[in-house]
Amino acid sequence: MAITLKDLWDAGTERLSLELMWGEGHLSREIEEKALNRPGLALTGFFQYFAQRRLQVFGLAEFTYLKSLSSEEREARLREMFEKNVPGVIISRNRNPLPEIRALAEEYKTPLFRTTMITSHFINECTVILEELTAPRERIQGTMLEIMGIGVLLRGQAGIGKSETALSLIGRGYSLVADDVTEMVRTGGRVMGFAHELTRYHMEIRGVGIVHVPSLFGVAAIRRDAILDIVINLHPYKNDAEEERTGIQPGAIEVLGIKFPYYELPVSPGRDMANIVEATALNYKLKLLGHDAAKELDEKVIGSFLRKAGK
Amino acid sequence: MMADGKTISREFEVLNTYGIHARPAALLVKAAGKFTCDIFIGREGAEVSAKSIMGLLTIEGHQGARLIVRAIGIDAEEALLEISALFENKFFEE
Repeated sequence: MAITLKDLWDAGTERLSLELMWGEGHLSREIEEKALNRPGLALTGFFQYFAQRRLQVFGLAEFTYLKSLSSEEREARLREMFEKNVPGVIISRNRNPLPEIRALAEEYKTPLFRTTMITSHFINECTVILEELTAPRERIQGTMLEIMGIGVLLRGQAGIGKSETALSLIGRGYSLVADDVTEMVRTGGRVMGFAHELTRYHMEIRGVGIVHVPSLFGVAAIRRDAILDIVINLHPYKNDAEEERTGIQPGAIEVLGIKFPYYELPVSPGRDMANIVEATALNYKLKLLGHDAAKELDEKVIGSFLRKAGK
Repeated sequence: MMADGKTISREFEVLNTYGIHARPAALLVKAAGKFTCDIFIGREGAEVSAKSIMGLLTIEGHQGARLIVRAIGIDAEEALLEISALFENKFFEE
């Protein structure tokens, strides 16, 4: 996926303490390689393997080295770098750009940024943002909650009671991430869910209408995002023959190419779904801690039967 | 108990090595759940509903155990047929 300087600027102005020093009209330039480069070695004149498709970060080392050069040399080396058509240049530690850098940025129409961060912090944070911007994403029909540290995506047909279940769980002190539609983004081996910016922290309850969750329940009732752990599907109860009964082998479902434990929970009168969703999440947490209740009981039963059968 | 129901019972031997542990119990529950008749499994004086997982684990159906299955209701015959297939096939474990 191609990203532009504009994408980075929109996503990272605050997180990266960025300031645009020149090039507002040229933010449509593409960042061809989603990584950062410190051009120190290139500035010494070694341009073989120069990562010209990456953003170039000028830190303390680059500055000190450039200052050790005569002004002709400095101009020549910088020019050689700008000639490679790098996507953009960033100056860290809130330094004033050298006049040569500013002039060349304008000449080569290369946007010039400045950050107050120190170089290593900037590179770490900026790499994360670039990853996020290019990460696979998907909008999924489902309500997302965080239950005791477990990210739960609640799915099911319209009207089955996802939002009502979520409301109950919020009342019990858990937090809402997104109601009804969850944006999922994959970073590394994890999938993170969050709400669309416009509808964030709101939910729709049939008969009540749209409510603002933090106004009703306080800020503890919401979360900006959560890492997905399990997917629960609510469905109308059919018959016992089709329901999972032991939980020894839970199903699996793929979200953005990653497999997650998948639980089918039947909805029927008298079943408090919030309670059951909570138990499912907590039971999963118990499994993470190495305690699989279903398996352990089964092993106990089998052990006892083998002794009784004389084996 | 259903008015027009009949009672059928049959004895089975548990053939699979691990007996009626969680997985076979789930198979029994699922099979029993398809029928409207009441189904009980166990020994004399210690019967449980075949529609209850936790119940089935308490009847101690280890290998070699002989259990009586009792079905009461209009579809008792079909239910017993389906359950006997599970016992005979060692609950598809071996």
